[in-house]
Amino acid sequence: MECLTHKGEIQATFDNVRNISFNEKRSSFLDEDAMNSFLDRILVFKSELKAKTERITEINSKLENITWYSDLNDDSLMLLNDLISVAKDLHSSLVRQYVKLTFIKNKGVAKSEIKEFKNAIDELKDTYNDLDSVFFSLPEMPEFIETTKKLSLVS
Amino acid sequence: MNIYSIDTFNKEFEKLIKKNAYKSLEQEIISYFFNKPIEQLLSGTRLNNSDTFPYIKKRLLGSGGFRFYFLILIKEENLYLMFVHPKTGSMGAENIDDESKSLLYKQVLNCIETQDLHLLQLSEDSKRLIFSKVE
Repeated sequence: MECLTHKGEIQATFDNVRNISFNEKRSSFLDEDAMNSFLDRILVFKSELKAKTERITEINSKLENITWYSDLNDDSLMLLNDLISVAKDLHSSLVRQYVKLTFIKNKGVAKSEIKEFKNAIDELKDTYNDLDSVFFSLPEMPEFIETTKKLSLVS
Repeated sequence: MNIYSIDTFNKEFEKLIKKNAYKSLEQEIISYFFNKPIEQLLSGTRLNNSDTFPYIKKRLLGSGGFRFYFLILIKEENLYLMFVHPKTGSMGAENIDDESKSLLYKQVLNCIETQDLHLLQLSEDSKRLIFSKVE
C-alpha cells in the first residue's frame, strides 16, 4: 500500500512560514521611525486643533465686546444682524467638523483638545444668541424696557 | 464695593454647593467678585445697554464652567448677584431664555426697592461666604 507523506504540502507551508518570518524581521511596521512619525502626526493634529479653538475663543470675545457698544444706529444694527448670521454659519461648519472628530475622540486621542474645541463651539452659539437677545429681542420686551426705566430712577 | 444677592441666587447657590461637581463655585465667587475695583467687573455680556447700571452675564471657569447674572449700580458701588447656573454636569443648562432674563431683571429691581437682599461678606480666613439678610 502506498504511504501518503504529504511532504510537498508540508514543504510548501514551511516555505510560506519561512518567507513570512524573514520578511517580518525586516518589516518596518512598528519600527521606531514609523512610531515617531505616527506620534508626531498626533502632536500636529493636537496643535492645529488647539490653534483653531483659540481662534474661536477670540471670536467669542470680540462678539461679547459688542454688547458694550451703546446706541447703535440702524446701519450698525443691520451689519450686526449680518454678523449674527455669519456666526451661525460658522457654528454649523464647526459642528460638522466636531462630528467628524467623534471617531478620533472614541479612540482616546486628543480627548482634552477635542473637549475644549466643543466648549468653544458651544460658547460661540451662546454668544451669537446673546447678541440677538441684547440688540433685537430684549429691547422689544415691554417688561424689560419698563425695568430699565425704573432702574434709571433708582441709580 | 458692596456685594448683595437676591433669593433666586441664594437658592441656586445652595443647591449647587451641595454637589461635589460644583464645590468650586464658592471659591470662584470669592476670587472673581471680591476685593476688586468695579471697573474690573465690567466685562462679559452686557444685557441692558446701560453704562450706569449694567446687567451682566459672565462666564466663569471657562466654557464648561458657571454662568453668572448680576447687576451693578456703578455710582452706588453696589453689585447684585441674581442667578447662577453651571454649563455642564447633572445640573448643567445651556442658557436661560429672554423671558427669564427679563424676569430676573424685574426681580432684582423689586428686591432693591424693598431691600429684600442678602449682604455677602467673607469669613475671617477669606475662604467662605457669609450671607446676611439686610434688615
